[in-house]
Amino acid sequence: MSEQGINRREFLSVVAAAQGAFVLGFWAPSRASAQKPPGAVWDEESAVPEINAWIVISPDDTVTVRITQTELGQGVWTSNAMMVCEELQCDWSKVRPQYASANRDAREKAPAWTLNVMGNGATDPKGGGEPGFGNRDRTGQQGIPDSLYRRMRTNAASSVKDGRYYLQLAGAEARERLLLAAAELWRVPVAELAAKDSIITHAPSGRTTTYGQIADRAARTPHPNPEKITIKPPDQWTLMGTERKNLDVPAKVTGETVYAIDVRVPGMKWAAVKSCPVYGGDVKRYDFEAIRALPGVRSAVRFPIPDPALTRGRIFSGGVAVIADTWHQARTALDRMPIEWEIPPANAAFNTANMSAALVAALDKPGRVRVDQGNVAAAFASAAKIVEAAYSTPYLPRARMEPGNATVLVTADRVDIWIGDQSPQETRFSAAKITGIREENVYLHLCHLGGGFGRNGNGPQAEQAIMIANAHRGTPIHLLWTREEDFIGTTYRAMGVARLKAALDADGWPVALDVRTAMQEGGFGPESSFDVASRYHVPNYRYSNHTTTFHVPVGTRRGIGQAAHEFYRESFMNELAHAAGRDPYRYRRELISRTSLPYKDDMIRALDMAAEMSGWGTPLPVGKARAIALEERGGEGNRMATISAMVHTVSVSREGKVRLERVDVAHETGFGLVNPLSVKKQIEGQIIWFYNDAMHQANTIQDGRIVENNFKAFPLSRIDEDPPEINIRFFKTGHWLLGMGHDRATSVQSAIGDAIFQITGKRFRDLPYSKHDLSWG
Amino acid sequence: MAFDLNVNGTRHTIDADPQTPLLWVIREYVGLTGTKFGCGIGQCGACTLHVDGQPIRSCSVPAANAVSKRILTIEGLSTDGSHPIQVAWKEFDTPQCGYCQSGMIMSTLALLQKLPNPSNVDIDAAVTNACRCGTYHRVRQAIHLAADLMKGIRR
Repeated sequence: MSEQGINRREFLSVVAAAQGAFVLGFWAPSRASAQKPPGAVWDEESAVPEINAWIVISPDDTVTVRITQTELGQGVWTSNAMMVCEELQCDWSKVRPQYASANRDAREKAPAWTLNVMGNGATDPKGGGEPGFGNRDRTGQQGIPDSLYRRMRTNAASSVKDGRYYLQLAGAEARERLLLAAAELWRVPVAELAAKDSIITHAPSGRTTTYGQIADRAARTPHPNPEKITIKPPDQWTLMGTERKNLDVPAKVTGETVYAIDVRVPGMKWAAVKSCPVYGGDVKRYDFEAIRALPGVRSAVRFPIPDPALTRGRIFSGGVAVIADTWHQARTALDRMPIEWEIPPANAAFNTANMSAALVAALDKPGRVRVDQGNVAAAFASAAKIVEAAYSTPYLPRARMEPGNATVLVTADRVDIWIGDQSPQETRFSAAKITGIREENVYLHLCHLGGGFGRNGNGPQAEQAIMIANAHRGTPIHLLWTREEDFIGTTYRAMGVARLKAALDADGWPVALDVRTAMQEGGFGPESSFDVASRYHVPNYRYSNHTTTFHVPVGTRRGIGQAAHEFYRESFMNELAHAAGRDPYRYRRELISRTSLPYKDDMIRALDMAAEMSGWGTPLPVGKARAIALEERGGEGNRMATISAMVHTVSVSREGKVRLERVDVAHETGFGLVNPLSVKKQIEGQIIWFYNDAMHQANTIQDGRIVENNFKAFPLSRIDEDPPEINIRFFKTGHWLLGMGHDRATSVQSAIGDAIFQITGKRFRDLPYSKHDLSWG
Repeated sequence: MAFDLNVNGTRHTIDADPQTPLLWVIREYVGLTGTKFGCGIGQCGACTLHVDGQPIRSCSVPAANAVSKRILTIEGLSTDGSHPIQVAWKEFDTPQCGYCQSGMIMSTLALLQKLPNPSNVDIDAAVTNACRCGTYHRVRQAIHLAADLMKGIRR
């Protein structure tokens, strides 16, 4: 029973409490594929034999590429296909992506030739850049499993970094088999054949054929030595590295794209839910009789707190669902249904003030000392000047535009789930645990997500929907959260505080740095940006992080802890430069040049390029200022990193209105970017994302509840706040990138703060800035 | 109680409570899902469609208000993505997740019908849809291109 994930007895009692559960007749799951509307992108069985699990080529030369990550706006639908097609050498105009089957992934093992990194990382002279192939955890929560499609989750900006080897290999293996099939047909040596744009040519005889014509034979032609196939190093790329418009865009401008919220299946009923607004709480009682007669209402069902084993240890809330013919009926009935909550008093005692105080108090406790180099105490004792600053950042949600939802049908021996999901392998696992139906019988019909901004950006939507549908076996249930419910169902970036203290010598250079950061236990990225090394040279360096325990479920959110920590670090560097009377760009440059960081030359290059692009040092009118910052992930390591620098030109009116006027971005390419157009779009998007964080966004807690739960109290930046000018330049470097989808443009936060200081003389260290009076003069 | 709605030039007889928000009638009864639900309080604009040429946030308007009026949704712009705004959107590869883009495009259409040559200030005032991915930079460029295309100017 314990293996059931949730307590089986408790679950049965909850299900038994479901009132008026109904069955609308058995709905044959085999019809799932027949229900695929034109704008849907989930997997379907191909009409012709596949070449391998990633590639199907039709007689008309259409190439279907199975995509193993989820498109949530980051461009993976296109970049994933580009990695396959770079090697396949097919006609790009005939490529049609489709999601890979998470069900097949449960049934089949990955081909042996995908399991290990070949060609020494193809090719990093330092030998670095291999993904974490060693860890093959079954559920895909960690590492890269050895099930068919390896890593199906979409997180940590790692889709290119982790997928590149086996996606390129998949394309190469298919190409080699197409060539072998043609060689066999023509009885010529395969070495005499060449493939380009879906055409195979035998130069000596002038014969040609197309992939479409030879595909059926290739599907029956195994490769004798697939493990010998090598993939192209970046200097041989012809498709990767070129700007490609995203293949999902045309259907997104016509409204045709089927997001999970748009899924309709025969017999489907809608569920609206309310979870206890205090995390860890549950339903005490509810009165379904009060709403039973309302139009369209079918039933109500309690669901328990989703098993933390299925939600990475996070404790959300128990709740109740109302099921009706339409969602609007379900939602309005639910709003009228009396519900009493069982709220843990300790959780209800939390509010922003006492949580913030607890974090600040944690800074003075021992904490985990991560780095203690030199003699920090002695250096402070002999300092010419000491600078100290405390910073804070609030809880922040993902608040993706598409509210959490999923459609689930549970029958006697099968589960079907229609969902936009960043972790289909985990959802498959959850479905099996909750229903007792084996993972091999769980079918996920994957949809594009209406935004992600953090792994499993969904929270427990799938688990709730599966529990509700499991109580209504035979009826497809479409769960949809209200926006208010989405603010309860998401995980948050942890609230954070930091205290930074530096000892400066007589010339203003730091001789000691003491950094303490705190966020709640379980917060993501507690060591980022400060660990191992200080980034900016300082001979005596101490870094500790500190935690306390709160009830808010925290998790990955665009930028994770790094976004907060880079705000602390880069803000403090600005403060030190001002205290030293030195130019913040040159101050940074000098301190990086004094380090022995492996990528310090790339960091300096980024700073130099961004400064030059921005016209750094040229005069600006009164009320405008520039600020620079370094952005790096992995900069302290020696394997992979992503490095950029940005200069932000900011104006502050006398009335205190802030405008980000211009952003100059210098961003490395590493060995190569797969789709530079997608990278530009990601950078543009992250600029306004972190602008929004810097200026407006914060979630506060009162009586244990999230206070801001819709877009009135939680404001979103609009087009009028987007910077009029964004300049992006790339420069080539000699390592693999860690990814760039979630931690670029963190510098907006420190830069606006420093611009406010330069213009108004006021220094604010707690985000968001809009809560302060920024007027001047 | 049944009532009729004219959606993209087609008459639909709807058997629903006329106080149901127009968004949900369009999505659940008419069956057009290009218009999105984002916040339910008229803030984000994902549900923007036109009633008699005016852009409205359909999550917060009862369907009854649209009876005997012309409703235009994203599906009514073109069947093949050939409307100048859609063409401009594709030219700049504007959408990311795409969820807000139907509403963004419908707001743009209303703007360009009123002001065929909008300034950036006009755009700021008229296109107040929220986008979490941050596509604004390309939205602005696409609006200017769409304005040209709608006047027959090719760049």
